[in-house]
Amino acid sequence: MNPFAVLGLDETADDDAVRAAYLTALRQSPPDRDPEGFRRIREAYDALRDHERRLALRLFGPPPLADIEALRELASTERRYVGPGPWLTVLREPRR
Amino acid sequence: MSKREKRKHGGAAMQHGAALDMAAWRARVESLLAAGQTRAAVEAAKQCGKQCPGPAADTLVVLAYQARIQALIASGLAKEAQALCEVVSERFPACRDRLVPLVRRSELLTGNFEPLLRELLTAEGPRQRELEAILSRELTDPAIVADSPILPHEHSLKRAAGAVRDLFIAVTTGPLPAGALAPLDSIPRRSPFAPWKLLIRALDAFYRHADADVLANLAGIPPEAGPARLAPVLRRLVSAEGETTPPSFTVTSLLEKVGGPWVTVMAQLPQLSQALAARDERRALAAVRALVPVFDGTPAATRRTFLATLLQQWARHDLPPQGLLRLLPRRAKDLDVVRLSAIATERVDWEVALELWDQYLRAAIATGALSATGPATARVLLHMAALFPEELEEIYDLFDVDSGAELQKLIQSGALPPCYDRGQLLARARTAEPAPQVFRALIAHYDPWDPQRAEGEAETWRRAHPQDVEPVLYLARAAERRGALRKALDLVAEAEALNRVHPEVRQRRFRLLLASAERRIKDGRALLALADLERVAQEPRASEGDLPAYVFALRWAATTRGGDAAAATELEHTLATTIENPVLRELVVSAVARAVGLSSQPSSAGASPLVALDGLARACELFRLLERPFTAPAALLTQVEQALETASAAQLYALCRGGMALGRPALTYLAAGQGLMQDNPLMHRFLLARGQVLQAALWEQGRAQACLRAARELAARARDMDAVREASAALATRVAWGGLPPILRGMLLEPEESLSPDYVTTVLTTERQHHALPRFPREKGARKRTTRRPRRSRQRFDGLLDLLEGNL
Repeated sequence: MNPFAVLGLDETADDDAVRAAYLTALRQSPPDRDPEGFRRIREAYDALRDHERRLALRLFGPPPLADIEALRELASTERRYVGPGPWLTVLREPRR
Repeated sequence: MSKREKRKHGGAAMQHGAALDMAAWRARVESLLAAGQTRAAVEAAKQCGKQCPGPAADTLVVLAYQARIQALIASGLAKEAQALCEVVSERFPACRDRLVPLVRRSELLTGNFEPLLRELLTAEGPRQRELEAILSRELTDPAIVADSPILPHEHSLKRAAGAVRDLFIAVTTGPLPAGALAPLDSIPRRSPFAPWKLLIRALDAFYRHADADVLANLAGIPPEAGPARLAPVLRRLVSAEGETTPPSFTVTSLLEKVGGPWVTVMAQLPQLSQALAARDERRALAAVRALVPVFDGTPAATRRTFLATLLQQWARHDLPPQGLLRLLPRRAKDLDVVRLSAIATERVDWEVALELWDQYLRAAIATGALSATGPATARVLLHMAALFPEELEEIYDLFDVDSGAELQKLIQSGALPPCYDRGQLLARARTAEPAPQVFRALIAHYDPWDPQRAEGEAETWRRAHPQDVEPVLYLARAAERRGALRKALDLVAEAEALNRVHPEVRQRRFRLLLASAERRIKDGRALLALADLERVAQEPRASEGDLPAYVFALRWAATTRGGDAAAATELEHTLATTIENPVLRELVVSAVARAVGLSSQPSSAGASPLVALDGLARACELFRLLERPFTAPAALLTQVEQALETASAAQLYALCRGGMALGRPALTYLAAGQGLMQDNPLMHRFLLARGQVLQAALWEQGRAQACLRAARELAARARDMDAVREASAALATRVAWGGLPPILRGMLLEPEESLSPDYVTTVLTTERQHHALPRFPREKGARKRTTRRPRRSRQRFDGLLDLLEGNL
């Protein structure tokens, strides 16, 4: 994953912004409750913690994902409430 | 049916009509029904009724209508079916009973459950269960039952329907508070509303992102129940496998409303993945066409990851990039496309990547994305310089020239763009940012073929960063290389003033004093050499391992050169007692004699295998400490290779490293193998040595990688970070991704996941069983180019640069 995206940062973020975003993310995914989330956050922070790394990432990144299907990770997890109407329309559709 | 169609179907019947009797009509109608041609069957039956009126014909007509009504129901045309039921019932009142089930079913399908509910009020036993089963199967909206005036308020079905209706609305409208689904608990499992209960729980789980619960609840819904119609939709939304049929329009509409455009992504990614694997460019482009607009609306970081992954996979599957690049967005900010194309192309064609980076840099500076000077520009220029192959000959071959001067001529004449001048790129990087890494690259670039220029760059570095010890050490090495040992010692003194604990600083003085002594012995200045050796003896390193033996041998050489025969003989005698191992003594004396121009007599012939092994192992370690090359007789090497079973772990490890220094990979391979047979703390080092030596073998790259990965894992467990770095470096040389900064190279190509203990054990077991020597290529001689290599085909990239130029 793009470390900037993991921490929700802009590419122009400075040391203070990176640190603040890391601490905020850490509160949402503490290592004891969400080890996998913590690992991702920690990796992202390590990749962005100093100016040199951020510069390298900006110029030569982001690292591509392992394969095309891994792009699913980027998908928004939003699930919209649309009321009963559209669901009932499908229910009323004749069986195929 | 249109008049034209009626004429068509009826006309056909009329043709036969005169000759058809009732039996023939029946056969004809039944054959049409069997073929599923219900409309033609009705027309034929009506013709029969006209020609052979009577009860038999009426029965045939009703039979045809029944089939037609069923077909309309199956097509979802329930209202049409209901209307036709009414027409047929009026026309053929005697057959009304046969139409009742169809009338009921069409009523249900149009949402008219009143007759069913009315009957349900009084039905009992099997009939009640039958009606409830119909209700469960056909009901597609719980509000129909909940709002029905037929059932009294206290009726259990009406109460269940009301609860289901309210919760269905609630669960699809917004987040539910805790315990909101409690009313569902009162609906019994045998109720026609039990499937609705499971559907509502599945919907609730879906909005809570509890996808496993979604699937578990859907699995409990009987496939024939009305709510089961939503099961495929929910499965698609949670990306569960198994939904292969294309969704209908209403389903697609629901998916897009609930899941947003990501539903498209989820559907297209497997298509793209399969198309890439099959190298089917047309299908892959179709999938990309659907994906691009979705990712175009995402935050920049997400969009870049998409582009980076797509471009890299495209290049990895060796598909021509032009079609893909035409699909990518063309906006001013899409410098990213050029940059990411350059990165993706690096693995395939360094010179195309170089030109793409050049385009990127020019456009980025022109648009203000990068400044003409500064660290970012310097990094890009350094990166471009790192794309060049290490072998200069490879570059010359590519452009069909014989020297750097000819290449320069091509650049100056405009036949090649200036970005092919590596020195120029590095000089620009230095102007952009005179940072240590830029000077380091400049020195590495000039050192092999223009040492004077390299020294000049080191001097500039020293002036720009006076506290850096690195340029001073380089200048000391350069001075030593051209024989200016006094100047080198002065520079080492300067380096010591800057950083006394630097490992190279600590070793350099010792080595320079030894080199000075050797030089003076060679020049016949024995007294000065002995003075140097006195200073050497005062260095802390002088007492390490067998180093005193080497210093003693130099003292003997100085005395011999000085012409003091008596003292030389006495020293020779003392040498024999100081270096008790005759093999080590012979190797040391012969190395010293060779260094100072003396002759030496071999004296260790006939040494026992144990003595030979010990002597060679100690010599390997001694010359490693001295960083000096040495040679050993082939017979000695063979003798030692056959006696490895008796060696200690330390001896084996010294021989492993010595084998590589001697250019004898077989010795390294066998010593590492013997080391792996023992249970010792150097196991990871032996595995590392075996991996390194296998890299040089023919057809053993898979084993080499396995050894190196397992060695890195074992080294990490043993906290031997030097070995971890060495293994990582060896693994990195296997991948052709030269130019990327280490941080990204690590992210992309060196997954640092822990290997399972099973993997390491398997590699160890396999290597312990490999006793036969692999094939090692002969030592490479000086490269001699006899035929020109044809220029690589760049057809795949034809037009690519122009295309991207147009993108900027």
